[in-house]
Amino acid sequence: MKTSRIIGLAMSGLARQKMRTFLMMLGIVIGVATLTVIISLTKGAQHKVMKGIKNFGANSVMASAGGGRMFGPPDGSTVTLTMADAEAMQASIKGIKHIAPFTMHVAQTVVAGSKNTEAAVFGVTPAFADAWQWFAEKGDFISDEDVSGLSKNCVLGQTVVRELFGDQDPIGETVRLNNTNFTVVGVLTKRGASPHGMDMDNRVLVPLSTAMRRLYNTTALGMIRLYVDDPDRLDEVTASVTAILRERHHIAPPQEDDFRVTNSMAMAGTIKGVSKTLTTFLLLLASISLVVGGLVIANIMLISVNERKKEIGIRRAFGAKARDIRQQFLGEALIVTLFGGIGGTLLGIAISLAIAGIKKMPAVLSWEPFVLAIVFSAAVGIVAGLQPARKAAGLDPVNAIKG
Amino acid sequence: MIELRNITKTYNKDGGVEVKVLQGINLTIGRGEFVSIMAPSGMGKSTMMNIIGCLDQPTGGEYLLDGIEVAGMNDDDLSSIRNKKIGFVFQSFNLLPRTTALENVELPLIYSPDDLDIKAKAKSALEAVGLGDRVGHQPSELSGGQQQRVAIARALVNDPTLILADEPTGNLDSASSQEVMAIFKKLHLDGRTVILVTHEPEVAAQADRIIRMKDGQVVSDERRAN
Repeated sequence: MKTSRIIGLAMSGLARQKMRTFLMMLGIVIGVATLTVIISLTKGAQHKVMKGIKNFGANSVMASAGGGRMFGPPDGSTVTLTMADAEAMQASIKGIKHIAPFTMHVAQTVVAGSKNTEAAVFGVTPAFADAWQWFAEKGDFISDEDVSGLSKNCVLGQTVVRELFGDQDPIGETVRLNNTNFTVVGVLTKRGASPHGMDMDNRVLVPLSTAMRRLYNTTALGMIRLYVDDPDRLDEVTASVTAILRERHHIAPPQEDDFRVTNSMAMAGTIKGVSKTLTTFLLLLASISLVVGGLVIANIMLISVNERKKEIGIRRAFGAKARDIRQQFLGEALIVTLFGGIGGTLLGIAISLAIAGIKKMPAVLSWEPFVLAIVFSAAVGIVAGLQPARKAAGLDPVNAIKG
Repeated sequence: MIELRNITKTYNKDGGVEVKVLQGINLTIGRGEFVSIMAPSGMGKSTMMNIIGCLDQPTGGEYLLDGIEVAGMNDDDLSSIRNKKIGFVFQSFNLLPRTTALENVELPLIYSPDDLDIKAKAKSALEAVGLGDRVGHQPSELSGGQQQRVAIARALVNDPTLILADEPTGNLDSASSQEVMAIFKKLHLDGRTVILVTHEPEVAAQADRIIRMKDGQVVSDERRAN
């Protein structure tokens, strides 16, 4: 029998039972819509994370004080990472273009006139700008003289500027940190969010020496950032940094490191791994709802075959082959799932856009959900329709026609 | 055209009891004949009709339809024969519910391997039974007599050589019965072979030949001179 005739038969069969057809379609619509939403939103989230990783810098290796954790600011109680470590790295690792030791103190109160805000305070050297590829947009960066003279000059991130000065030019103004007055000499370019979602523009940079001796009275560094000339050597440099720190800190393997070393590749890998696990789990859920949808279709169709025995018998009496009956019922299942798949994708896109709008999250729409929906729906249709179609085709015409 | 040679049909009932419904039927029906097969209920009448209509296979014997041995054919071949050569008319009409008269009549054409103008053929078959103005009506919107005429149009539409009617007037009032019988007579005059299976003597009497069955055997075969 011609395909167009099978489609026509299946369509008119479905049209005769609109409510039943709708119920069969519903399960698939829900399953596919869930699938579409998950794919769009995960892609959106991944997109955001990858942007953050780009902000971290592709050529960089970073060593932080304090071990055990994956992310976050350095552990302030760990005082083992020192300038001597940084010097040892520079001396023994080849291909380091820039090395920037710095301190980091989060949630510090910054005051300007009557306004105050909370920001992270970084003690830095001029190499910080090169290692982060992050320079002053206005004014100057921290200079060598600032560091050697323990000057009270500072550079502000754009969020701090907005909070404390609004649209005013902050250069030359005074901000107060830890009861010490600093003169603003520069403003950093806008950087955006870190891979962990932290606002990188909410920070104040002061000379490293000033931070260590005047503000926080410490000899320890928070982090050392290395800018490598060749991104292919990231893993090699990461390994060297780890080896040097273990040796200098006298850490033997079963002992836990008192530092952690990471690079953009490793970071991307970790985050991708986490989101992959989550995505897999959600996709599994969506698949379960598709399987349930398929079971509903199979069930309703089996009942339908019983109710339509007489129709099957009549068709057989007028020359329908067993194959024709099988194709008709399989066609019905396929049409239900395909239309359900298309409807589900459209619904899913609408929901994704709505969620993205409400939660201010990016949703990335792509061709994958469409293709997946078609493939999945067709598969569900064939699997769910096969048994009912076989049963219908296998009916003995003489008995079937009795109804 | 139809040759039945020593046809038997045995059913296995529950408990392993064998029931011999047909016990050696020998019968020849020529092309263009108008024949009634009469039998009391439960005497193998339906089984006869199913076997002649190629819906069922005999347990034993030979069945030649248009010179072709039908007994032992596979399901697909039997379906093709039903599609091309046989038009069924049933007592309870057996139209598809919630389906228009036209779509009901189209049914055999859908399964035809030939490239046909399905709509046009179905429409002219409905016109031939006087229902050209009812093409869009569903069975529930038609009277019993009209429904049976739709069913006859369906039986005719593929131009079969044999019209096989099982108690076609059993569910109809006498006026509708006469209309339907008139159509069968006309079909016979047009040269088609018509076989009526019935237990009503008045209906059987309208055919040219009456075959009576009892206990699965032919007991009389009477030709009436016209």
